[in-house]
Amino acid sequence: MKLIRTHPFSINRVSDFEGWFRHPLAGLPSLSSFINNLGEAFPGVAGDKLAVDVHEDKDNYFASFEVPGVKKEDVKLELNNGLLTVSAEKRTKDGEKETSSSLTRSVSVPDGVNAEAIAAKLTDGILTVTLPKQERNKPRSITLS
Amino acid sequence: MNTTCSPRNCTPATSGVTESLRKPLYNINGNAEAYDIRVELPGVPKSSVKLDLEEDILSIRGERSTTVPEGMKTLHRELSPLNYLLRLRLNAPVNEEQMVAQFEDGVLSLRLPLKEVAKPRQIPVL
Repeated sequence: MKLIRTHPFSINRVSDFEGWFRHPLAGLPSLSSFINNLGEAFPGVAGDKLAVDVHEDKDNYFASFEVPGVKKEDVKLELNNGLLTVSAEKRTKDGEKETSSSLTRSVSVPDGVNAEAIAAKLTDGILTVTLPKQERNKPRSITLS
Repeated sequence: MNTTCSPRNCTPATSGVTESLRKPLYNINGNAEAYDIRVELPGVPKSSVKLDLEEDILSIRGERSTTVPEGMKTLHRELSPLNYLLRLRLNAPVNEEQMVAQFEDGVLSLRLPLKEVAKPRQIPVL
C-alpha cells in the first residue's frame, strides 16, 4: 500500500492555482501599455495583455505566454514579491516606419517555487517560463513496510 | 473567413470552412509594387506553416505544436489550441516566382510583388 503525502496547501489545488491571478496587481496592464492602447486603431490587437497558460507536472510549474514577433532581447522577466511580470517590446515594420508596442502580464507565483532556478525560453513566438517546485512541495510517496 | 483584398482595402467574404480553425491576426500593406502581408502564428513551428496560392486565393495554414506535453496538468488556459487558417483573395495578379516568405518568432512575413500589368502607369501628356 502506498500513502501519498502532499504538501498541506496542495490539497486545495483549485484555489491554489487561482491564486496565480489573485495577486492585487496580477493581470493589470502597465500604465505604458495602457497609453499605447489609446492610440490603437484596433483595440485588443496589438496592445492587448499577454495571454497565458499555466501547467504543472510533479517537478515544475510552466507559464506560457504568447509573444509573436518579439525578439529574445526585447523580453524582460521579473520576479518581485511573488509576482512574476513579463514585459515584451514588440517591434513591427510597417513599410518604412517601425512601430513598437509594449505588452505586459503579471501572474502571482504560488509559495514553494525555487526562485533561483526559474528559467525561460522563447520558441516560435511562445515564451515558456519554467518555475521549479521546491523539494518540500513535491508530492512524496511513502511505502509502508 | 475569406477576405477580398486590394492594396487599399480588405472586405470579408463568405467562407466554407468546416474544420475548427481560427483566423490569425494579420496585417496587409500594399503599394504600387507589392503586397506586404504579416501574419501572427504563435506556437507554430516553421515546418508546419503551409502556403498555397491557387488562382487568386492565397491560403496560409499553421499547425500549432502541442503546447501541453503528456503528464502535465493544466491549471489555467487562455491560449487557444486551434490551428490557424487565413484565406485571402487577391484582386490583382501577383508574380508568383518572386514571392518571398519569411518566418521568424512566430510571425510570417510575405511579400507578393505585383505583375507589371497590375502596376500603375504614368501616361505622359504630349
